[in-house]
Amino acid sequence: MAEEQVVKKKRVVDPNSAAYKLGQITARNYTEAWEAKERGEKIGWCSSNFPQEIHRTLGIKVVYPENQAVAIAVRGGGTRGCDEAEAEGYSNDICAYARISAAYAKNPHAPEQDMPLPDFLLCCNNICNCMIKWYENVALDLNIPLIMIDIPFNHFYKATPEQIAYVGQQFRDAIAQLEAITGKKWDEERFREVCACTNATSKAMLRVADYLQYEPSPLAGFDLFNHMGVLITALGAPDSAAAFNQLADEYEALIKAGRSTFRGEREDYRIMFEGIACWPHLKFTSKSLIAKNINVAATIYAVAATHVYNTFDEMIASYYTIPGAMNLELSRDRRVQLCKANHVQGMLVHTNRSCKNWSGIMPEMSRQIGEICHIPVVAFDGDQADPRNFSEAQYETRVQGLMEIMQENKAGEQHV
Amino acid sequence: MNSMSDERTLLNTFHEIASHPRRQMDQYLSRGLKIVGCQAPYAPEEIVHAMGMVPMGLWGADMALSEAKRYFPTFICSIMQSMVELGIRGAYDGMSCILMPSLCDAMQATVENWKYAVPSIPIVYADYPQNRFGKAGHDYLRATHERQIARLTELTGATCTDEALRQSIEIYKEHAETMKAFSELAGKCGMKPSDRSAVFKSAWFMLKQEHTALVRELMAVMKPCGEKKIGVMTTGILADQPGLLQIMDKLNMTVLCDDVAHESRQSFFCYPKAETPLDTLADKFCTMKHCSLIYDPQKTRISLILEEARAHGAKGIIFIQTKFCDPEEFDYVFLKRACENAGIPLIMIEVDRQMTNYDQAGTALQTFCEMIQ
Repeated sequence: MAEEQVVKKKRVVDPNSAAYKLGQITARNYTEAWEAKERGEKIGWCSSNFPQEIHRTLGIKVVYPENQAVAIAVRGGGTRGCDEAEAEGYSNDICAYARISAAYAKNPHAPEQDMPLPDFLLCCNNICNCMIKWYENVALDLNIPLIMIDIPFNHFYKATPEQIAYVGQQFRDAIAQLEAITGKKWDEERFREVCACTNATSKAMLRVADYLQYEPSPLAGFDLFNHMGVLITALGAPDSAAAFNQLADEYEALIKAGRSTFRGEREDYRIMFEGIACWPHLKFTSKSLIAKNINVAATIYAVAATHVYNTFDEMIASYYTIPGAMNLELSRDRRVQLCKANHVQGMLVHTNRSCKNWSGIMPEMSRQIGEICHIPVVAFDGDQADPRNFSEAQYETRVQGLMEIMQENKAGEQHV
Repeated sequence: MNSMSDERTLLNTFHEIASHPRRQMDQYLSRGLKIVGCQAPYAPEEIVHAMGMVPMGLWGADMALSEAKRYFPTFICSIMQSMVELGIRGAYDGMSCILMPSLCDAMQATVENWKYAVPSIPIVYADYPQNRFGKAGHDYLRATHERQIARLTELTGATCTDEALRQSIEIYKEHAETMKAFSELAGKCGMKPSDRSAVFKSAWFMLKQEHTALVRELMAVMKPCGEKKIGVMTTGILADQPGLLQIMDKLNMTVLCDDVAHESRQSFFCYPKAETPLDTLADKFCTMKHCSLIYDPQKTRISLILEEARAHGAKGIIFIQTKFCDPEEFDYVFLKRACENAGIPLIMIEVDRQMTNYDQAGTALQTFCEMIQ
């Protein structure tokens, strides 16, 4: 008997839904950059947590190599990008985002996600110092200017006055450099508008993330990873806040209807997923949890790029409170707060080979979180973009182990 | 005693010091001096020196890791991991505190982990600005140095005066000049790589004025080795692995010049004149280039390596890659291209603090030698 061909129907997203609108906002970023390039405007490549208030106020279009690397990795092009970079001499120990991006800068064709080549680079190292080296290499390869805002890793709990002064001056210097490169002029009124939009979007996203506190949650925590693109590319855009608020309203409606976007039979377990998503294996890592009725009810990553502030100095300080720039204690406390507020029963840690910054403090930090919150912590090896650094079998075993401990803990609670 | 035996005796002294840092530390402690650990690769040692204490360099050690594995995933550089391992095992007991820079992601993680792994030795943060070309960078670093002095005073009771700092800067300047001259002479004399390494390494465990005096004593008796050597340039973070140095010795190599962070890269700076010695110290770092760990959009390091290799007549360049050191891995791509374009032979040898078998490195270096001879 001939095997029946199963044709999967493509999921049609309601154009009036928040998910559709958020998807459109992310896609718009690439379109606008291509259009600007065609008009002859100077466009840039930008690191994910470079203060977006600068280029948005100046009306300069930028695209984000990290987002592109994610798109390439999710759609199966990670190995190709990494291989191309390695052929150029890049070690396979280097961050896979950087390898994919360096490869694209040399050979700008990726069927998974193309984007225009830059006329300048905007680099900020508040997510890692690897970013500096990555952008140095791309700037040299393309022979274009590199504008750098150095936000050193903050070993203190709060940003100090000298740290604020240092970054504040670099913020002003970057404006002057960009004005000279693009011919565009800074406008204080426009800056205030961008700051207002940034705050509104951030608050709306935090409102969305707060719905994970409900038991059962009206959403699958993995959904939040999908919206990272909007936070990175359109935090200060005028329509982002409305889209996130609509998403929050939709979750509110789901609660009332007793429904959820989580596809498990029911929400038996709630965990914190720690670290950047394992993008090349997102489907597998997500489905494995769903099959065990485990929902991701907390992740710091989803709210990592939000910025809420009232003054210039507070804005600068907010760029110090990015996961890659915070000390262990602040990083731990923020996660503990999330775990407690969201009633998490376990923690699944992605030991991400690409990310020395984040993974370097992970064992100690997650140990402390586990102790404070009285939850089991389990880690698995993976990578944010290089598919070769992940084993399905190891992931399955670790998740199974985590589930068994959570199961025992639950049974223990019932007997108390 | 003839001059050659003088040279050997002195070199043996350098080897003794380089391989017994704990003995050095105990000796200084017995003299009533306080010790401040200075984590690789840059820390404001001049401040520690001016406060009347002994700065001792911390670059980890070749060893198997066990305790540090509780804090680090495998893919973090073993210099940092072995430093934490030594701290946990008590090798640094007696240090008043440790100055810790955060110039790369591994260093940042090390600082954070140190608080819990080695709580008995308090940290003084040694942050540096990467964007250091303008006033903002200078002001930030100056403020950071002031914070460090206050913290060192809090932890040790020692104080820092402008005059003392000025004198210490002079001592450090003199040491850097002496090491530059030593490197030139060592190349000309065809010194064995293992001997040269011991002279550089010992500097991390001695007061700089004492090291300068000893190096000058050695230089006064150094003579050409009388053998035909293969002159090379080395570059990388660290090149003190005995296994690697033995191979280089056996292959009759001599290091004509280097860009190794643990060695000559420490002398790639100047002390610009400024209003106060603290400003001079800040400007020292702010004007520094040629290092993979410091933001350098022009990658001036690459052209420097080529210039140095050419100027010294190096037959080839050995890129000693510390495993998992991504700043170096990024630079390698451009060095490889530049060497290919310039027709300068280049070989990359990967090393690790946990490495015990150098057979593969030996085979590669032997082939390299045959090629460049």
